[in-house]
Amino acid sequence: MNKVLDMRTPVASSGVRTFWSVAAIVVILALFVQAWIVVQARPQDLVTGAHGMADIISRAMPPAFDQFVPNLWPVLETIDLAIFGTVFGVLLAFPLAILAAANVTPAKPLYYAARAVIAVTRAVPDLVWALLFVTAVGLGPFPGALALAVHSIGMLGRLFAEVIEDMDMGPVEALTLTGAGRLQILSHAVVPGVLPSLLGIGLFRFDENLRSSLVLGFVGAGGIGFQLLTAMNLFQYQTVSFLLIATFVLVACAERASAYVRGLVA
Amino acid sequence: MNTLSSTSGALPLDPTGDRGAAASSVPAMAPRAKLVPGVKLAVRDLSMRYANGHTALRDFNLAVKAGEMVVVLGSNGSGKSTFMKCVVGLNRPTGGAVELAGRDLATLSGKALRQARLPLALISQNANLVKRRSVLANVCCGTLGRHKTLSTALGRVPREEIEPARAYLDEVGLLHLAAQRAGTLSGGQAQRVAVARALAQRPHVLLADEPVASLDPEAADEVMRLLRRLATEDGLAVVCVLHQPELATRYADRLVGLRSGQLEFDRPASAVSSQQIASLYLAEAA
Repeated sequence: MNKVLDMRTPVASSGVRTFWSVAAIVVILALFVQAWIVVQARPQDLVTGAHGMADIISRAMPPAFDQFVPNLWPVLETIDLAIFGTVFGVLLAFPLAILAAANVTPAKPLYYAARAVIAVTRAVPDLVWALLFVTAVGLGPFPGALALAVHSIGMLGRLFAEVIEDMDMGPVEALTLTGAGRLQILSHAVVPGVLPSLLGIGLFRFDENLRSSLVLGFVGAGGIGFQLLTAMNLFQYQTVSFLLIATFVLVACAERASAYVRGLVA
Repeated sequence: MNTLSSTSGALPLDPTGDRGAAASSVPAMAPRAKLVPGVKLAVRDLSMRYANGHTALRDFNLAVKAGEMVVVLGSNGSGKSTFMKCVVGLNRPTGGAVELAGRDLATLSGKALRQARLPLALISQNANLVKRRSVLANVCCGTLGRHKTLSTALGRVPREEIEPARAYLDEVGLLHLAAQRAGTLSGGQAQRVAVARALAQRPHVLLADEPVASLDPEAADEVMRLLRRLATEDGLAVVCVLHQPELATRYADRLVGLRSGQLEFDRPASAVSSQQIASLYLAEAA
Protein backbone atom coordinates (compact mmCIF):
# COMPACT_ATOMS: atom_id res chain seq x y z
CA MET A 1 0.00 0.00 0.00
CA ASN A 2 2.78 2.29 0.97
CA LYS A 3 4.55 1.51 -2.27
CA VAL A 4 1.46 2.48 -4.26
CA LEU A 5 1.25 5.75 -2.37
CA ASP A 6 4.93 6.41 -2.89
CA MET A 7 4.54 5.91 -6.61
CA ARG A 8 1.47 8.10 -6.81
CA THR A 9 2.95 11.03 -4.96
CA PRO A 10 5.46 12.04 -7.68
CA VAL A 11 2.71 11.75 -10.34
CA ALA A 12 0.51 14.12 -8.34
CA SER A 13 3.35 16.64 -7.81
CA SER A 14 4.22 16.39 -11.50
CA GLY A 15 0.60 17.28 -12.30
CA VAL A 16 0.79 20.28 -10.02
CA ARG A 17 4.02 21.34 -11.64
CA THR A 18 2.44 21.10 -15.10
CA PHE A 19 -0.49 23.20 -13.93
CA TRP A 20 1.84 25.92 -12.60
CA SER A 21 3.95 25.84 -15.75
CA VAL A 22 0.86 26.33 -17.94
CA ALA A 23 -0.38 29.07 -15.60
CA ALA A 24 2.98 30.85 -15.81
CA ILE A 25 2.96 30.71 -19.61
CA VAL A 26 -0.61 32.08 -19.70
CA VAL A 27 0.34 34.95 -17.35
CA ILE A 28 3.41 35.83 -19.42
CA LEU A 29 1.34 35.77 -22.64
CA ALA A 30 -1.33 37.96 -21.02
CA LEU A 31 1.33 40.47 -19.92
CA PHE A 32 2.77 40.58 -23.43
CA VAL A 33 -0.65 41.06 -25.05
CA GLN A 34 -1.55 43.93 -22.74
CA ALA A 35 1.84 45.51 -23.45
CA TRP A 36 1.16 45.15 -27.18
CA ILE A 37 -2.18 46.97 -26.76
CA VAL A 38 -0.83 49.70 -24.48
CA VAL A 39 2.10 50.61 -26.76
CA GLN A 40 -0.28 50.58 -29.73
CA ALA A 41 2.02 48.30 -31.71
CA ARG A 42 1.31 48.46 -35.43
CA PRO A 43 3.75 46.26 -37.39
CA GLN A 44 2.20 47.36 -40.68
CA ASP A 45 3.55 50.87 -39.99
CA LEU A 46 7.06 49.47 -40.24
CA VAL A 47 6.31 48.41 -43.79
CA THR A 48 4.63 51.67 -44.78
CA GLY A 49 7.33 53.67 -42.95
CA ALA A 50 10.16 51.93 -44.80
CA HIS A 51 9.90 54.46 -47.58
CA GLY A 52 10.38 57.35 -45.12
CA MET A 53 13.34 55.59 -43.51
CA ALA A 54 14.94 55.00 -46.89
CA ASP A 55 14.45 58.68 -47.68
CA ILE A 56 16.18 59.79 -44.47
CA ILE A 57 19.04 57.36 -45.05
CA SER A 58 19.53 58.60 -48.61
CA ARG A 59 19.58 62.20 -47.37
CA ALA A 60 22.11 61.22 -44.69
CA MET A 61 24.55 59.91 -47.27
CA PRO A 62 27.40 60.59 -47.58
CA PRO A 63 28.18 61.41 -43.94
CA ALA A 64 29.54 64.93 -43.44
CA PHE A 65 33.14 64.03 -42.62
CA ASP A 66 34.05 67.70 -42.91
CA GLN A 67 32.33 68.02 -39.52
CA PHE A 68 35.19 66.11 -37.91
CA VAL A 69 37.19 69.08 -36.65
CA PRO A 70 34.21 71.20 -35.48
CA ASN A 71 32.95 68.21 -33.45
CA LEU A 72 36.22 67.36 -31.75
CA TRP A 73 35.32 69.53 -28.77
CA PRO A 74 31.86 67.96 -28.27
CA VAL A 75 33.50 64.51 -28.50
CA LEU A 76 35.98 65.51 -25.81
CA GLU A 77 33.09 66.90 -23.76
CA THR A 78 31.26 63.58 -24.03
CA ILE A 79 34.32 61.61 -22.90
CA ASP A 80 34.94 64.04 -20.04
CA LEU A 81 31.33 63.85 -18.90
CA ALA A 82 31.83 60.10 -18.53
CA ILE A 83 35.20 60.47 -16.82
CA PHE A 84 33.93 63.06 -14.33
CA GLY A 85 30.76 61.10 -13.59
CA THR A 86 32.62 57.83 -13.13
CA VAL A 87 35.47 59.18 -10.98
CA PHE A 88 33.16 61.22 -8.79
CA GLY A 89 30.77 58.27 -8.56
CA VAL A 90 33.51 55.82 -7.57
CA LEU A 91 34.97 58.18 -4.95
CA LEU A 92 31.61 58.63 -3.24
CA ALA A 93 30.25 55.14 -3.85
CA PHE A 94 33.11 53.34 -2.12
CA PRO A 95 32.71 54.81 1.38
CA LEU A 96 28.97 54.50 0.95
CA ALA A 97 29.37 50.83 0.02
CA ILE A 98 31.47 50.21 3.13
CA LEU A 99 28.61 51.56 5.23
CA ALA A 100 26.05 49.64 3.17
CA ALA A 101 27.79 46.24 3.34
CA ALA A 102 26.28 44.22 6.18
CA ASN A 103 29.53 42.41 6.99
CA VAL A 104 31.74 45.47 7.52
CA THR A 105 29.36 48.31 8.38
CA PRO A 106 30.27 49.98 11.67
CA ALA A 107 26.66 50.47 12.81
CA LYS A 108 23.17 49.42 11.74
CA PRO A 109 21.76 52.99 11.49
CA LEU A 110 24.60 53.90 9.11
CA TYR A 111 23.85 50.76 7.12
CA TYR A 112 20.22 51.76 6.62
CA ALA A 113 21.12 55.38 5.87
CA ALA A 114 23.67 54.33 3.24
CA ARG A 115 21.21 51.88 1.69
CA ALA A 116 18.62 54.65 1.49
CA VAL A 117 21.02 57.04 -0.27
CA ILE A 118 21.96 54.31 -2.72
CA ALA A 119 18.32 53.47 -3.40
CA VAL A 120 17.34 57.10 -4.08
CA THR A 121 20.30 57.93 -6.33
CA ARG A 122 19.79 54.67 -8.21
CA ALA A 123 16.04 54.87 -8.61
CA VAL A 124 16.04 58.29 -10.29
CA PRO A 125 17.32 57.94 -13.90
CA ASP A 126 20.33 59.99 -14.96
CA LEU A 127 18.18 61.82 -17.52
CA VAL A 128 15.93 63.09 -14.73
CA TRP A 129 18.96 64.07 -12.65
CA ALA A 130 20.25 65.97 -15.71
CA LEU A 131 16.95 67.86 -16.06
CA LEU A 132 17.13 68.78 -12.37
CA PHE A 133 20.75 69.93 -12.60
CA VAL A 134 20.13 71.88 -15.83
CA THR A 135 17.45 73.75 -13.92
CA ALA A 136 19.80 74.28 -11.00
CA VAL A 137 23.11 75.20 -12.68
CA GLY A 138 22.08 76.01 -16.27
CA LEU A 139 22.88 74.46 -19.66
CA GLY A 140 26.26 72.92 -20.49
CA PRO A 141 28.30 69.84 -19.69
CA PHE A 142 28.48 70.44 -15.92
CA PRO A 143 24.85 69.47 -15.13
CA GLY A 144 25.35 66.37 -17.28
CA ALA A 145 28.50 65.44 -15.38
CA LEU A 146 26.69 65.95 -12.07
CA ALA A 147 23.79 63.81 -13.25
CA LEU A 148 26.09 60.97 -14.23
CA ALA A 149 27.99 61.26 -10.95
CA VAL A 150 24.89 61.13 -8.76
CA HIS A 151 23.33 58.25 -10.65
CA SER A 152 26.69 56.42 -10.62
CA ILE A 153 26.86 56.73 -6.84
CA GLY A 154 23.72 54.65 -6.54
CA MET A 155 24.59 52.10 -9.22
CA LEU A 156 28.19 51.66 -8.06
CA GLY A 157 27.30 51.83 -4.36
CA ARG A 158 25.00 48.86 -4.64
CA LEU A 159 27.40 46.77 -6.74
CA PHE A 160 30.38 47.65 -4.53
CA ALA A 161 28.41 46.72 -1.41
CA GLU A 162 27.50 43.37 -2.94
CA VAL A 163 31.14 42.67 -3.78
CA ILE A 164 32.18 43.53 -0.23
CA GLU A 165 29.45 41.34 1.25
CA ASP A 166 30.60 38.41 -0.90
CA MET A 167 34.28 38.78 -0.02
CA ASP A 168 36.26 36.18 1.92
CA MET A 169 36.03 37.27 5.56
CA GLY A 170 38.94 35.07 6.65
CA PRO A 171 41.60 37.79 6.36
CA VAL A 172 39.29 40.25 8.15
CA GLU A 173 38.91 37.85 11.07
CA ALA A 174 42.64 37.17 11.10
CA LEU A 175 43.49 40.87 11.25
CA THR A 176 40.83 41.50 13.88
CA LEU A 177 42.54 38.95 16.10
CA THR A 178 45.92 40.63 15.63
CA GLY A 179 44.43 43.70 17.32
CA ALA A 180 44.13 45.76 14.13
CA GLY A 181 41.66 48.65 14.19
CA ARG A 182 38.66 49.11 11.90
CA LEU A 183 40.45 51.38 9.41
CA GLN A 184 43.50 49.15 9.37
CA ILE A 185 41.34 46.13 8.60
CA LEU A 186 39.63 48.11 5.87
CA SER A 187 42.85 49.19 4.19
CA HIS A 188 44.89 46.01 4.74
CA ALA A 189 42.27 43.30 4.21
CA VAL A 190 39.04 44.61 2.68
CA VAL A 191 40.44 46.94 0.00
CA PRO A 192 43.12 44.56 -1.36
CA GLY A 193 40.52 41.79 -1.42
CA VAL A 194 37.90 43.62 -3.43
CA LEU A 195 39.95 46.11 -5.45
CA PRO A 196 40.07 44.18 -8.76
CA SER A 197 36.30 43.66 -8.71
CA LEU A 198 35.70 47.31 -7.86
CA LEU A 199 37.97 48.48 -10.68
CA GLY A 200 36.19 46.16 -13.11
CA ILE A 201 32.79 47.48 -12.06
CA GLY A 202 34.07 51.07 -12.24
CA LEU A 203 35.26 50.52 -15.80
CA PHE A 204 31.93 48.99 -16.80
CA ARG A 205 30.30 52.06 -15.30
CA PHE A 206 32.53 54.26 -17.47
CA ASP A 207 31.17 52.42 -20.54
CA GLU A 208 27.63 53.01 -19.33
CA ASN A 209 28.30 56.65 -18.54
CA LEU A 210 29.77 57.25 -21.98
CA ARG A 211 26.57 55.95 -23.59
CA SER A 212 24.43 57.91 -21.15
CA SER A 213 26.35 61.12 -21.77
CA LEU A 214 25.25 60.97 -25.43
CA VAL A 215 21.60 60.97 -24.40
CA LEU A 216 22.10 63.65 -21.75
CA GLY A 217 23.01 66.09 -24.53
CA PHE A 218 19.37 65.96 -25.64
CA VAL A 219 18.35 67.81 -22.49
CA GLY A 220 21.02 70.47 -22.87
CA ALA A 221 23.86 68.80 -21.02
CA GLY A 222 26.48 69.24 -23.77
CA GLY A 223 28.54 66.71 -25.69
CA ILE A 224 27.79 64.91 -28.96
CA GLY A 225 24.18 64.39 -27.91
CA PHE A 226 23.58 68.13 -28.01
CA GLN A 227 25.18 68.35 -31.49
CA LEU A 228 23.05 65.42 -32.65
CA LEU A 229 19.85 67.07 -31.44
CA THR A 230 20.79 70.36 -33.12
CA ALA A 231 21.59 68.62 -36.42
CA MET A 232 18.28 66.69 -36.30
CA ASN A 233 16.32 69.87 -35.62
CA LEU A 234 18.05 71.57 -38.59
CA PHE A 235 17.46 68.52 -40.85
CA GLN A 236 21.23 68.18 -41.37
CA TYR A 237 21.04 64.42 -41.84
CA GLN A 238 24.58 64.12 -43.25
CA THR A 239 25.89 65.65 -40.05
CA VAL A 240 23.61 63.32 -38.10
CA SER A 241 25.07 60.27 -39.87
CA PHE A 242 28.60 61.50 -39.22
CA LEU A 243 27.82 62.03 -35.53
CA LEU A 244 26.32 58.54 -35.32
CA ILE A 245 29.51 57.09 -36.82
CA ALA A 246 31.58 59.14 -34.35
CA THR A 247 29.41 57.82 -31.51
CA PHE A 248 29.86 54.23 -32.64
CA VAL A 249 33.65 54.64 -32.89
CA LEU A 250 33.78 56.34 -29.48
CA VAL A 251 31.75 53.65 -27.71
CA ALA A 252 33.64 50.82 -29.42
CA CYS A 253 37.01 52.35 -28.47
CA ALA A 254 35.90 52.88 -24.88
CA GLU A 255 34.70 49.26 -24.66
CA ARG A 256 38.01 47.94 -25.97
CA ALA A 257 40.02 50.22 -23.68
CA SER A 258 38.07 49.29 -20.56
CA ALA A 259 38.21 45.56 -21.45
CA TYR A 260 41.99 45.90 -21.79
CA VAL A 261 42.38 47.66 -18.43
CA ARG A 262 40.06 45.13 -16.75
CA GLY A 263 42.30 42.40 -18.12
CA LEU A 264 45.32 44.12 -16.57
CA VAL A 265 43.82 44.39 -13.08
CA ALA A 266 42.18 40.94 -13.01
CA MET B 1 68.48 30.55 10.75
CA ASN B 2 67.08 28.64 7.84
CA THR B 3 68.69 27.35 4.71
CA LEU B 4 65.65 28.20 2.60
CA SER B 5 66.38 31.89 3.00
CA SER B 6 69.52 31.82 0.89
CA THR B 7 67.91 33.09 -2.32
CA SER B 8 66.55 36.25 -0.81
CA GLY B 9 69.04 38.52 -2.54
CA ALA B 10 67.32 38.23 -5.95
CA LEU B 11 63.71 38.74 -5.12
CA PRO B 12 61.16 39.73 -7.75
CA LEU B 13 59.18 42.98 -7.51
CA ASP B 14 56.87 42.98 -4.55
CA PRO B 15 53.26 43.37 -5.74
CA THR B 16 52.47 45.70 -2.85
CA GLY B 17 55.45 47.95 -3.22
CA ASP B 18 57.60 46.55 -0.39
CA ARG B 19 60.30 46.00 -2.94
CA GLY B 20 63.24 47.49 -1.20
CA ALA B 21 62.51 45.76 2.05
CA ALA B 22 61.85 42.42 0.46
CA ALA B 23 65.01 42.51 -1.59
CA SER B 24 67.58 43.26 1.11
CA SER B 25 69.49 40.15 2.02
CA VAL B 26 70.03 39.00 5.59
CA PRO B 27 67.24 39.54 8.11
CA ALA B 28 67.96 40.58 11.65
CA MET B 29 67.23 38.32 14.58
CA ALA B 30 63.50 37.78 15.01
CA PRO B 31 62.33 39.83 18.01
CA ARG B 32 60.35 38.03 20.68
CA ALA B 33 58.17 39.06 23.56
CA LYS B 34 60.03 38.73 26.84
CA LEU B 35 58.83 35.42 28.17
CA VAL B 36 59.15 34.39 31.77
CA PRO B 37 58.49 30.81 32.78
CA GLY B 38 55.14 29.94 34.23
CA VAL B 39 51.53 29.60 33.23
CA LYS B 40 50.76 31.75 30.21
CA LEU B 41 47.16 30.82 29.60
CA ALA B 42 44.77 29.60 32.26
CA VAL B 43 41.22 28.58 31.53
CA ARG B 44 39.12 28.09 34.65
CA ASP B 45 35.70 26.43 34.79
CA LEU B 46 34.95 27.59 31.28
CA SER B 47 31.36 26.97 30.23
CA MET B 48 29.49 27.89 27.11
CA ARG B 49 25.79 27.48 26.61
CA TYR B 50 24.38 28.70 23.30
CA ALA B 51 21.10 30.58 22.94
CA ASN B 52 19.43 27.42 21.64
CA GLY B 53 20.15 25.73 24.97
CA HIS B 54 22.99 23.52 23.74
CA THR B 55 25.87 23.31 26.22
CA ALA B 56 29.04 23.16 24.15
CA LEU B 57 31.51 23.43 27.03
CA ARG B 58 31.12 22.59 30.69
CA ASP B 59 33.51 23.54 33.51
CA PHE B 60 36.57 23.13 31.35
CA ASN B 61 39.97 23.76 32.93
CA LEU B 62 43.31 24.11 31.24
CA ALA B 63 46.64 25.71 32.11
CA VAL B 64 49.42 26.06 29.57
CA LYS B 65 52.95 26.97 30.57
CA ALA B 66 55.60 28.77 28.56
CA GLY B 67 57.43 26.35 26.29
CA GLU B 68 54.66 23.79 26.48
CA MET B 69 52.71 22.40 23.56
CA VAL B 70 49.24 21.15 24.36
CA VAL B 71 47.07 19.40 21.80
CA VAL B 72 43.31 19.28 22.26
CA LEU B 73 41.63 16.24 20.74
CA GLY B 74 37.99 15.42 20.31
CA SER B 75 35.40 14.51 17.74
CA ASN B 76 33.26 17.01 15.84
CA GLY B 77 30.92 18.78 18.24
CA SER B 78 33.03 17.94 21.28
CA GLY B 79 33.57 21.63 22.05
CA LYS B 80 37.06 22.21 20.66
CA SER B 81 36.12 25.10 18.39
CA THR B 82 33.89 26.61 21.07
CA PHE B 83 36.86 26.47 23.43
CA MET B 84 39.05 28.28 20.92
CA LYS B 85 36.39 30.90 20.21
CA CYS B 86 35.90 31.53 23.92
CA VAL B 87 39.63 31.93 24.46
CA VAL B 88 40.09 34.49 21.68
CA GLY B 89 36.90 36.32 22.58
CA LEU B 90 34.86 35.49 19.48
CA ASN B 91 32.35 33.83 21.83
CA ARG B 92 31.58 35.22 25.26
CA PRO B 93 31.56 32.28 27.67
CA THR B 94 28.53 31.84 29.90
CA GLY B 95 30.78 30.91 32.81
CA GLY B 96 34.39 30.72 33.92
CA ALA B 97 37.50 32.72 33.16
CA VAL B 98 40.18 32.98 30.48
CA GLU B 99 43.28 34.41 32.11
CA LEU B 100 45.98 35.84 29.89
CA ALA B 101 48.79 38.01 31.21
CA GLY B 102 46.87 38.62 34.42
CA ARG B 103 43.62 39.69 32.78
CA ASP B 104 40.37 37.80 32.37
CA LEU B 105 39.48 38.00 28.67
CA ALA B 106 36.01 36.61 29.36
CA THR B 107 34.99 39.83 31.09
CA LEU B 108 36.31 42.20 28.42
CA SER B 109 34.89 43.47 25.17
CA GLY B 110 35.62 46.00 22.41
CA LYS B 111 38.85 47.94 22.61
CA ALA B 112 39.82 46.55 26.01
CA LEU B 113 39.53 42.99 24.67
CA ARG B 114 41.55 43.86 21.57
CA GLN B 115 44.33 45.28 23.74
CA ALA B 116 44.31 42.46 26.29
CA ARG B 117 44.33 39.85 23.51
CA LEU B 118 47.55 41.13 21.93
CA PRO B 119 49.77 38.51 23.66
CA LEU B 120 47.67 35.82 22.04
CA ALA B 121 47.86 34.82 18.38
CA LEU B 122 45.60 32.47 16.47
CA ILE B 123 46.32 30.33 13.44
CA SER B 124 43.19 29.02 11.77
CA GLN B 125 42.52 26.02 9.58
CA ASN B 126 42.66 28.35 6.59
CA ALA B 127 45.70 30.59 6.57
CA ASN B 128 43.39 33.58 5.92
CA LEU B 129 46.06 35.55 4.11
CA VAL B 130 45.24 38.59 2.01
CA LYS B 131 45.84 36.86 -1.30
CA ARG B 132 46.60 39.91 -3.43
CA ARG B 133 49.25 41.25 -1.07
CA SER B 134 52.81 40.08 -0.81
CA VAL B 135 53.89 37.47 1.69
CA LEU B 136 55.95 40.10 3.52
CA ALA B 137 53.01 42.53 3.73
CA ASN B 138 50.86 39.74 5.15
CA VAL B 139 53.43 39.06 7.86
CA CYS B 140 53.64 42.77 8.65
CA CYS B 141 49.86 42.75 9.21
CA GLY B 142 50.56 40.82 12.41
CA THR B 143 52.06 43.99 13.86
CA LEU B 144 49.09 46.30 13.23
CA GLY B 145 47.82 45.98 16.79
CA ARG B 146 50.97 47.76 17.98
CA HIS B 147 50.90 50.48 15.33
CA LYS B 148 47.69 52.48 15.39
CA THR B 149 48.96 55.25 13.14
CA LEU B 150 47.45 57.18 10.23
CA SER B 151 49.99 55.60 7.93
CA THR B 152 48.96 52.04 8.83
CA ALA B 153 45.29 53.04 8.65
CA LEU B 154 45.95 54.07 5.04
CA GLY B 155 47.30 50.64 4.15
CA ARG B 156 51.02 51.15 4.72
CA VAL B 157 53.01 48.59 6.65
CA PRO B 158 55.09 49.93 9.57
CA ARG B 159 58.58 50.49 8.19
CA GLU B 160 60.33 49.46 11.39
CA GLU B 161 58.53 46.12 11.31
CA ILE B 162 59.73 45.10 7.87
CA GLU B 163 63.09 43.72 9.00
CA PRO B 164 61.59 41.74 11.91
CA ALA B 165 58.92 40.43 9.52
CA ARG B 166 61.65 39.19 7.22
CA ALA B 167 63.25 37.47 10.17
CA TYR B 168 59.97 35.71 10.99
CA LEU B 169 59.69 34.61 7.38
CA ASP B 170 63.23 33.32 7.61
CA GLU B 171 62.24 31.42 10.71
CA VAL B 172 59.43 29.60 8.90
CA GLY B 173 61.71 29.00 5.91
CA LEU B 174 59.94 31.25 3.42
CA LEU B 175 62.09 34.36 3.20
CA HIS B 176 62.75 33.63 -0.46
CA LEU B 177 59.03 34.10 -1.12
CA ALA B 178 58.78 37.45 0.69
CA ALA B 179 57.92 39.42 -2.44
CA GLN B 180 55.56 36.84 -3.90
CA ARG B 181 51.80 37.28 -3.83
CA ALA B 182 50.24 35.30 -1.01
CA GLY B 183 47.63 33.91 -3.40
CA THR B 184 50.29 31.96 -5.27
CA LEU B 185 51.43 29.93 -2.26
CA SER B 186 50.66 26.27 -1.64
CA GLY B 187 48.52 25.33 1.35
CA GLY B 188 51.54 24.40 3.47
CA GLN B 189 53.42 27.57 2.57
CA ALA B 190 50.37 29.71 3.29
CA GLN B 191 50.01 28.11 6.70
CA ARG B 192 53.67 28.80 7.47
CA VAL B 193 53.16 32.44 6.46
CA ALA B 194 50.20 32.51 8.86
CA VAL B 195 52.58 31.27 11.57
CA ALA B 196 55.03 34.05 10.67
CA ARG B 197 52.20 36.59 10.86
CA ALA B 198 51.27 35.22 14.27
CA LEU B 199 54.91 35.51 15.38
CA ALA B 200 54.99 39.12 14.19
CA GLN B 201 52.36 39.76 16.82
CA ARG B 202 55.05 38.74 19.38
CA PRO B 203 52.64 36.56 21.30
CA HIS B 204 53.10 34.67 24.54
CA VAL B 205 50.46 32.16 23.58
CA LEU B 206 49.95 30.65 20.16
CA LEU B 207 46.59 29.03 19.42
CA ALA B 208 46.26 26.80 16.37
CA ASP B 209 42.78 25.69 15.37
CA GLU B 210 43.17 22.60 13.16
CA PRO B 211 46.18 24.15 11.42
CA VAL B 212 46.90 21.09 9.28
CA ALA B 213 43.34 20.04 8.41
CA SER B 214 43.67 20.94 4.74
CA LEU B 215 47.31 19.98 4.25
CA ASP B 216 48.93 16.87 2.81
CA PRO B 217 50.90 14.69 5.29
CA GLU B 218 54.26 16.21 4.39
CA ALA B 219 53.08 19.81 4.74
CA ALA B 220 51.18 18.90 7.91
CA ASP B 221 54.31 17.45 9.42
CA GLU B 222 56.26 20.55 8.50
CA VAL B 223 53.76 22.88 10.19
CA MET B 224 53.61 20.71 13.32
CA ARG B 225 57.41 20.62 13.49
CA LEU B 226 57.42 24.40 13.29
CA LEU B 227 54.90 24.75 16.13
CA ARG B 228 56.89 22.29 18.23
CA ARG B 229 60.06 24.29 17.63
CA LEU B 230 58.37 27.54 18.61
CA ALA B 231 57.38 25.99 21.91
CA THR B 232 60.72 24.36 22.63
CA GLU B 233 63.15 26.99 21.37
CA ASP B 234 61.19 30.22 21.70
CA GLY B 235 59.25 29.35 24.82
CA LEU B 236 55.80 30.01 23.40
CA ALA B 237 52.82 28.37 25.03
CA VAL B 238 51.20 26.51 22.14
CA VAL B 239 47.64 25.19 22.20
CA CYS B 240 46.68 23.22 19.14
CA VAL B 241 43.37 21.65 18.20
CA LEU B 242 43.90 18.59 16.03
CA HIS B 243 42.02 15.76 14.39
CA GLN B 244 45.14 13.68 13.79
CA PRO B 245 45.98 11.59 16.90
CA GLU B 246 49.27 10.39 15.42
CA LEU B 247 50.51 13.97 14.94
CA ALA B 248 49.24 14.86 18.40
CA THR B 249 51.14 12.07 20.15
CA ARG B 250 54.26 12.79 18.11
CA TYR B 251 54.50 16.51 18.79
CA ALA B 252 52.57 17.40 21.95
CA ASP B 253 53.82 17.57 25.52
CA ARG B 254 50.30 17.11 26.80
CA LEU B 255 47.13 15.76 25.32
CA VAL B 256 43.74 17.05 26.34
CA GLY B 257 40.68 14.99 25.43
CA LEU B 258 37.30 16.65 25.09
CA ARG B 259 34.01 14.81 24.86
CA SER B 260 30.58 16.43 24.81
CA GLY B 261 32.07 19.66 26.10
CA GLN B 262 33.73 18.06 29.11
CA LEU B 263 37.32 17.26 29.91
CA GLU B 264 37.96 13.56 29.37
CA PHE B 265 41.68 13.52 30.11
CA ASP B 266 44.61 15.92 30.46
CA ARG B 267 47.86 13.97 30.60
CA PRO B 268 51.38 13.92 29.21
CA ALA B 269 51.30 12.66 25.63
CA SER B 270 53.34 9.60 26.57
CA ALA B 271 50.78 8.61 29.18
CA VAL B 272 47.79 8.57 26.85
CA SER B 273 47.03 5.26 25.16
CA SER B 274 45.69 4.95 21.64
CA GLN B 275 42.58 3.30 23.11
CA GLN B 276 41.89 6.39 25.19
CA ILE B 277 42.21 8.57 22.11
CA ALA B 278 40.06 6.22 20.05
CA SER B 279 37.40 6.26 22.76
CA LEU B 280 36.96 10.02 22.22
CA TYR B 281 35.74 9.33 18.72
CA LEU B 282 34.05 5.96 19.21
CA ALA B 283 31.89 7.16 22.06
CA GLU B 284 30.54 9.99 19.89
CA ALA B 285 29.86 7.62 17.01
CA ALA B 286 27.92 5.29 19.32
